[in-house]
Amino acid sequence: MAESEEEVDVLVQRVVKDITNAFKRNPNIDEIGVIPCPEARYNRSPIVLLENKLGVESWCVKFLLPYVHNKLLLYRQRKHWLEREALADITCTLLLLNPDFTTAWNVRKELLQCGVLNPEKDLYLGQLALTKFPKSPETWIHRRWVLQQILRQSSVAGRSKKPQQSEADAERSQQLSEHLARTLHQEMKVCSDAACRYPSNYNAWSHRIWVLQHMAHGNVKVFHDELSSMRLWVSMHVSDHSGFHYRQFLLKELITEVSQTPASTSSPQQRCSTAPSSSSPPHHSHSQANGELSEAEAAAEEEWQLSVNTVLQLLHQEMELCSDLIQSFPGHETLWSHRRHVFYLWHHWRRDQQQLCSTNQESSSPVLGSNGGPGPHTLNAQSSAGGGGSVNGQGCAAEAMEVDRASLPDPRDSKRLKTGVLLPSPPALPSEPSFVSGVLDGCCNPEQRRFALAYKKWLDTVISQQP
Amino acid sequence: MGTQVKDVIIKPDAPSSLLLDKHADYIAAYGSKKDDYEYTLSEYLRMSGIYWGLTVMDLMAELPRMNRQEIIDFIKACQHECGGLSASIGHDPHLLYTLSAVQILCLYDSVDALDVDKVVEYIKGLQQEDGSFAGDKWGEIDTRFSFCAVATLALLGKMDKINVDKAVEFILSCMNFDGGFGCRPGSESHAGQIYCCAGFLSLTGQLHQVNADLLGWWLCERQLPSGGLNGRPEKLPDVCYSWWVLASLKIIGRIHWIDKAKLRSFILACQDEETGGFADRPGDMVDPFHTLFGIAGLSLLGDEQIKPVNPVLCMPEDVLQRVRLQPDILS
Ligand SMILES: [Zn+2]
Repeated sequence: MAESEEEVDVLVQRVVKDITNAFKRNPNIDEIGVIPCPEARYNRSPIVLLENKLGVESWCVKFLLPYVHNKLLLYRQRKHWLEREALADITCTLLLLNPDFTTAWNVRKELLQCGVLNPEKDLYLGQLALTKFPKSPETWIHRRWVLQQILRQSSVAGRSKKPQQSEADAERSQQLSEHLARTLHQEMKVCSDAACRYPSNYNAWSHRIWVLQHMAHGNVKVFHDELSSMRLWVSMHVSDHSGFHYRQFLLKELITEVSQTPASTSSPQQRCSTAPSSSSPPHHSHSQANGELSEAEAAAEEEWQLSVNTVLQLLHQEMELCSDLIQSFPGHETLWSHRRHVFYLWHHWRRDQQQLCSTNQESSSPVLGSNGGPGPHTLNAQSSAGGGGSVNGQGCAAEAMEVDRASLPDPRDSKRLKTGVLLPSPPALPSEPSFVSGVLDGCCNPEQRRFALAYKKWLDTVISQQP
Repeated sequence: MGTQVKDVIIKPDAPSSLLLDKHADYIAAYGSKKDDYEYTLSEYLRMSGIYWGLTVMDLMAELPRMNRQEIIDFIKACQHECGGLSASIGHDPHLLYTLSAVQILCLYDSVDALDVDKVVEYIKGLQQEDGSFAGDKWGEIDTRFSFCAVATLALLGKMDKINVDKAVEFILSCMNFDGGFGCRPGSESHAGQIYCCAGFLSLTGQLHQVNADLLGWWLCERQLPSGGLNGRPEKLPDVCYSWWVLASLKIIGRIHWIDKAKLRSFILACQDEETGGFADRPGDMVDPFHTLFGIAGLSLLGDEQIKPVNPVLCMPEDVLQRVRLQPDILS
């Protein structure tokens, strides 16, 4: 076994080279690890490549790490010169062993800036480090920096288009957006892997949020896809608070996006005149008072109705998922916390809608006041439009929110929508207090009881204290 | 059929009294193992490591046992051209280590060992248009870095050099529906980030912007049957999270909402009777990080063998009096 300084030197240089060669030999390495092996075996490299797994025998790590560590620091203090190639190799070895060594990532950032490394390669290195250190904050930080470089490059490339786009330009921008979509997809996969390797992995999930905010901003389809692909994942990880928070983030963004459809911003009066309409007897919007709805107004109204239904459906489905999970997996704080959040989202969305209506009603349309102003009727009525809505197998009337002291909608009003278009049955939200008592009835799990009671207390204090 | 509550069980023979002498010996010996593999592995955060060790020594009134001059020389050697400080020599500067360095120098009443104007310039240069702070020149944004920036400036008495209003605006944009805060807008609430944001709002005189009852509720729910606190729902209790939650509760005036006696026995159970020091949980390996937060937590809980600790800066109150800094606390 190597002991003298020169021997260590030779050994370590060989090992660093072995690692570099392993990556050349197999560009598909997808996992790294340390192989427990207290002693060196004669004439055998401590670097083991088995299928797509790269292993380092444990005995050599205690030589390897201090060596590459010191080499890099000497270079950083300008006491020892290293060629770019050597720097790339040394930082690679160093970061696979100690990925929170910030300065080593910074050296690679500089190498990236001068074109010695390419962004994809660094994302790949980080991905490998995360297989062994799924939380490593510095690895996630470096990824965000690299992704920002990719975004910057593609926006520069996108902007350099000439006014008259040639076929080649079109092809180029097509390639760019495909490349970004691939990068986004790959990034989601890296996050999922890290989330599976370490429960409630804050860094992985907050990175995933960052990626959507920066690479898919306003892209409703991506958010929808994420929401549906996460459904199974959270059902299998009912303790993963970060995973559920991610769903909350997706829902919140989707609600915001969906509520901002062009039509919905056209005329507030119109919005208020349509949505709450089904609950009230003869109602007249501004435009109706002057005759028939114009075609554009009708279209806007229809679109708005659609967006309202989409939001209600999203929230309802989420509450339903949450109820199912709470009943199937009793005693999980994460699930109850999720319920608070979804309920809160619903509560606020509804309040915002009502405020919007009531201000407009007061200012411009006294007729609409007959709706009961900012009362709680509107959405319950809305939610029963189209009839049925008995997703839980109960009548929708029974599901009206008790906390709202809502009046029951008149079924005659809910037969059809104003626009005459049959929309997907908008769901009703279940009654929270009755959900809680349902859980408490015959529940002997002390944790489940504790969380259910805390939830009820939360509804009674936090929610009821809000305007 | 019971649920597996994520918690620890404190054994009847777990330590239940405070072993101050052992802890002081543990910290005093820690710095002498410089050739250790572990020591190399953690060099990237050395400056913070020194802050943890020195602060806990000061809280135990054992600071004179540490090598003052060696540490001050080391800190000087870590200040870079740009004004920022790095974790160790040859590493790159960062706000995290700039704060740790200034905290250490405050303990030693030697802030003038640094080029203070340059430190201030460095911090000022990291503020972004939206008020947030990057941790270093590479631009990562995190509410932790906002805390580092204002904490350092507050200790230096230079808060007026940055755009405080904008900085506050950014922190508030990271507030969640549960009253907590995450690392960036939209991110999950997390006890460590809450501590940073509550501390930030205290130092900038903006604690009234916190929904103290709602946040206090969330923080109290971190206490588990063992008495220990976790940092997020369904995580294990941990001495460091116990500090962050407890300090946040103290800052927002809700410390009496948790069971202090139970928390105290959890923290005491995390001591290692043989080696000294505290671990994250009973029976785990000790380290200086958890040792500081164990001792600081006991101080906040009112242990009179330990000096009073300031909940915002995690430094002895007497040091803050010397630099004339009194961060706000809600009553
Ligand atoms: Zn900890």
